[in-house]
Formats: sequence, C-alpha cells, structure tokens
Amino acid sequence: MSSVTLENVVKYYYPAVGAADSKPVKGLNNINMRIAEGETVSVVGPSGCGKSTLLKVIAGLEFADEGRVLYNDFDVTKITPQDRGVGMVFQDYALYPTKEGKNNMSYYFEVHHRSAEEKEQRLRETSELMGIGFDMLMGRQVDTLSGGEKQRVGIARAIVREPNVFLMDEPISNLDAKLRERTRTEIRRLLKKFGITTLYVTHDQQEAIFMGDRIAVMRAGSLEQIGTFDELYYAPANLFVATLIGTPPISILPGELAHGTLRAAGQTELALPEQLSGGLPQGSLRLGVRPEGWLVAREPEPGSLAMNVTRIERLFTERAAFAHGDVNGAPVNALVPLDFPDAKMLYLRPDWERAYIFAADAETALHVPGVPELF
Amino acid sequence: MSLFPTVGRKQLGVRISWWLVVAFLAFGVFMHLVPFYIMITTSIKPATEAMAMPPTLWPRQPTFAAWGLVLKLSDIAKSVLSQPLSKYFLNSMIMTFGTMILSIPVTSLAAYAVSKLIKGRAAKNLFIFFIGTLMLPGIVSLIPSFLLTRNFPFPLPVAPNIPGTDVAFPTLRIWNTYWAVIIPAGFSAGNFLLFKGYFDGIPDSIINAARVDGGSEFNIFRRIILPMSIPVYAVVAYFTFGATWDSYLWPLVVIQDSAIAPLTLAIRRISDAFGAAGTTNPLTAVGASAGISELVSQGLSWNGLMVLGLLQAIPTFIFFIIAREYLLKGVKIQGLK
Repeated sequence: MSSVTLENVVKYYYPAVGAADSKPVKGLNNINMRIAEGETVSVVGPSGCGKSTLLKVIAGLEFADEGRVLYNDFDVTKITPQDRGVGMVFQDYALYPTKEGKNNMSYYFEVHHRSAEEKEQRLRETSELMGIGFDMLMGRQVDTLSGGEKQRVGIARAIVREPNVFLMDEPISNLDAKLRERTRTEIRRLLKKFGITTLYVTHDQQEAIFMGDRIAVMRAGSLEQIGTFDELYYAPANLFVATLIGTPPISILPGELAHGTLRAAGQTELALPEQLSGGLPQGSLRLGVRPEGWLVAREPEPGSLAMNVTRIERLFTERAAFAHGDVNGAPVNALVPLDFPDAKMLYLRPDWERAYIFAADAETALHVPGVPELF
Repeated sequence: MSLFPTVGRKQLGVRISWWLVVAFLAFGVFMHLVPFYIMITTSIKPATEAMAMPPTLWPRQPTFAAWGLVLKLSDIAKSVLSQPLSKYFLNSMIMTFGTMILSIPVTSLAAYAVSKLIKGRAAKNLFIFFIGTLMLPGIVSLIPSFLLTRNFPFPLPVAPNIPGTDVAFPTLRIWNTYWAVIIPAGFSAGNFLLFKGYFDGIPDSIINAARVDGGSEFNIFRRIILPMSIPVYAVVAYFTFGATWDSYLWPLVVIQDSAIAPLTLAIRRISDAFGAAGTTNPLTAVGASAGISELVSQGLSWNGLMVLGLLQAIPTFIFFIIAREYLLKGVKIQGLK
C-alpha cells in the first residue's frame, strides 16, 4: 500500500484525425494531488472532464506528458502498468470472457509466476473477504453472471493481488438503481476493511460523497477543488464547485451592490450586514443561497424576494420538502418543512450567515460561509 | 426463422410468401447440389457410360474402377503424370498449411496492432495502406510479383548491376520452390479486414485490465484475446485453406518443376492429356501417347476427371466442417457486454 502524489501532471489529447482543429488539447491540466495512504478520494465531474484520464495516468495505462506521478516517494511516471501493482475496476467490468470467475482472478498469479499454493491461499482469503456466496461465483463462467455479480468478481480480481493503489472507474454506474445502492454500501465496507489507497471516479455526486474521505472536483481537465464534503459545500473554491455539489443545487441570483445594499434579481433591495458588505467590491455580483439558507415566509415582508413556486417536492424519508420555482426568472430552490402547505408565491430572505457571494463576470468566490463547527 | 414473424403465420398472404421463400431457397440449394451429384455419379460410371449422350441420371453399372485407375495413374501413364498422385496431394498440403501457418499469425497480429496498440494518425494511415492493397486487382500485380519471385527485391527480369561494376546485385530467388506460393500469401488484406473488425469489437478495458494484471502485450494477446477470437480465426483459417488449396493461376506461374506442383496443376495436366487423346471430345484429338491409350482402354474418361475433382474438393469440405465446429463454439463468447 502506498500514497499517491501527482505533481503538475499534464496530458495532451490529440483531436480525431481529420478534425478541423488539430492542435493538441490539454486533457489534464497541471493536476496536483496527494492521496494519503489508506485514503479514499472520489473524483467527480461532468463527462469528458478528464476523470478517467486521471485514473489511467495513475494506473500507467496512459503516460503523463509533463509532471510526475509518485507512489510513496517512488517516481512511477514512466513505469508501465504491468509493474505498478495497482488494482483496477472498470465500468464495463472488463472480465476475461473466456475464463471462469476463478481464472479471472488467477491471471495475475499466472503472469507473475507465483506458486500455486500462494494463489490458492489468496483466492481463499479474497473469497472470504468478499462475503457470502462469493465462492459460488468463482466457479461460474463469466457470461452467466449478472451485472452485480460480474462487478463483484471484478472487484475481487482487483484486490486478490493486494494492490498498492485501488482504482475504480465508475464501477457501479451500469447497475440498476436498487443494486447500485446495495453495491455502493458493499464497496464502502470493503474499502474500510482493506484500508487501501483508493481513487474512485464517478459522475454521481451522491456516490462521490458516500465513497470518498475526500472529494476531488474536476472540470475540463483541471482540478477545481479537493476537500471533504463540508469544505466543498460550505467553502467552494468557485461557482462551478458550488453548483456541482449539493442537491437541489444552490440558487444563484444576479445582483448589484451599492452602499451596503444588494439589489438582487433586479427587483428587491436587500440590506447586507456590515461585516459582509465591508469586504465586497461595489457593483455587479452574484448571490448564492443554498436551499437551507433561505428564510421562507408565506406573506410578503419588506426586503424579501418573491418566488413563483412551480412545485413543492415532499421527501418523506428526509422529513422535509423542497419548494422549486424561480425569482424573476432565476431558478431557486428552498427548503421548507414537510407539512408546509402548497402555495403559489413564497417570500424569501437570505440568511446572510449562510450566503455565498461570487463575482459577476468570473467564477471567483468572494465570500463563502465556511465550514461550520458542529461539534 | 426470423425472416417472417411467428405471429400471423396463419394468414394466407404470409403463408404464401413463406412458401415462396422456402421454394426459392430450396431452388438455390438444388442448384448448388446438382454439380456435386453429377460429379459423384459420373465418377462411379464406366468410361463409355460417362461419355453417353444423353447422360444417364444414375449409373447403370456402378463401378469404382475409375477411382482405382486414378490412384495408380502415374504407374500406368508416366508421361502424363511423372509423380504419384499422393505426391501432388502432399505438395498442395505443404503449400496450404505453410500459407496458413505464416499468414494467419502475421495477418492477425498486424490487425491487432492496428486495432488496439497503435493510436491516432499512424493507425489510420496503416489501415488505409493495408486496405489500399485490396483496391488493386490481383491480375495487375501478377507479372511484377512473378518477377519479384525471380529476383527479389527487384521486380525486373534481370537484376541490375551494382553501379560501377559488372557484377549484378545479389538477389533472392524463391521461384519454383514452395516458398514462391507461401511467402506472397503471408499477408492477406481481406483477412486483415476481418480480424480488425473483430478486434475493434473487443473493449479496450479488457486489455487494460490485463495490463494492470501484469500481462505483457504478447501474453495478453495469447491468453486473453486469442481465446476470445476463436470464431474469427476459424473463418479466416477456412478462407485461407480454400483459397490456397484451390489456387491455380499463381502456382502455374511460379511452379515449373512437376515434383513440387500442387494438385490443381496436376489435374489440369491430366485433363489436357485426356483432351489430346480425344477421350473427352473426339473432335479435339491430336494424338495420344501410349500411356493415355492404355488408360482409355482400361476404361478411364470423364469419370476419371470427376474422381480428381472430388479428390480436390474433399479436403476443403472436411476443413469446412472442422472450422464450423469452432465457429459455433465462438458464438457463446460473443456476449461481451
């Protein structure tokens, strides 16, 4: 087991042959990252943002064009995947279709010329780790397994070798919702048990939060921010991270700041607290408020924003409801109590303790609430 | 069965068109079987009956005399066939399996490289280069290829002199050897296309998984890719076998020594000899050698040629049955995703 460090990793991509623009694109743009030993980091971002490329660079399936990749303090930048000793799990399982479950797992021992006893012992140990019924899967032909079973074999194949680093590329996104939920818990349990350094790539925010000790947010080849969920949620580095993390998403309203008063969404004058407006530049801004950051009233009050409600979504398991709608065209979501009666209009005031302020033309965060100290 | 829906079979229109299709296909099968029927029945007819007009549908006196005579052809008529028939058979086998042993690994590894190992512009250019060789009719390259077998690497009748000397460049001559048939068939663009199409269908992630497992590129090919690709290998093996076993024009050009001639050339020679003797058509008789007269008197005419035709066809048929077995075995592996 080892820690993984990326130093200024750059990976160029060459556009398809015959494309109009044939200049190489940066698929990975100066990625700096450190994954501590035994830590699980999930990587989240929209499709095509370079998540999978990042994983391939760490696995050695692609080589970084610039920068270094270190396992512990050992430079593996130019080392082939065969010699890196990583375990990898793929979205499409990538099991060897002509081999049965057991032989899928033993290919590693075969190519490394390990003894039959060692192989048998590791297979047995892994089978026990994987839990009930796994030894049944090992004897079966791969094409007779269901998606979930295939991925269990895929995970077992990755851990049977005691990998330095465990890499998972959207391992459960091909499964149906119910099974995904279960497999997610299962993988988390296994990761905790092994304590292997893990990089978990997903496009599902919820999954990233569930799996990762820390979450890395990527966009267009760049690492936007890496941190715990609370850091990303309460102290996003920029507007992109703020909108990506959190369901329903943060509401963003354009505004003008003048003399301590914010004219938000072109209609209402909101008075900013002194300590907040002091640090902000005058002029155009963007106000961000998360659903739980609104103070909701049913009757108009001075200094509140009128929200057209399109729907109130009641989440009975959460004992809460979300009001979805818009303020002057800008989509807004607000958290309301579960028994909140239906309404056409709601009147919202931001809780300034929980408000985010972003620059109007750039995505820079000018003010964030910061991680609350809960305990 | 998927040509028509199972539902609605009872409707008259569907039923009629169903039977029309069946009749059409049956006709096709019939048309393919008629030549074989004629070959088989003629081969067991006596010489005179084989020449009878109108031909008989079933031999009145079935006899295997022609089979016996053909197998001893070289003993009876040395001038027609200098080597025993089994020798030509062996020559054909050597050329066919030689070609398969060389061509299938070369072609499949090239296809695998272009499909999975080389990326981007280089892969595209290589692909176009290989496929480009398909665009040229084989007949166009016949003479240059022949010259190459004489004076490799010069496609010239005589190798040029080394500049400034009277000494010709050393050349490699494979003409009139087995290699002249085997080496030019070492790479087949058509089979390359088949292999590449199949390898393209294998997800990269399987290869990546094997790389992470520590398999070398060749080990991955041998242990992971090859077992998955049995069906395409079966198809290509069958095609290669058929094409080489039945090739006539190229061996005719590059093989002169009858000791290494394949069966196709031998059959042609016998057929010509019979033609000259007037056995196949009295009008074209130009004079027969003693050996041929002997054969004819013993009862060999078209029936003998049919025996030779069957001998030529049987190995392809057997090989087809073997290849088909593996083809069906491979269908199970298809469920990749």
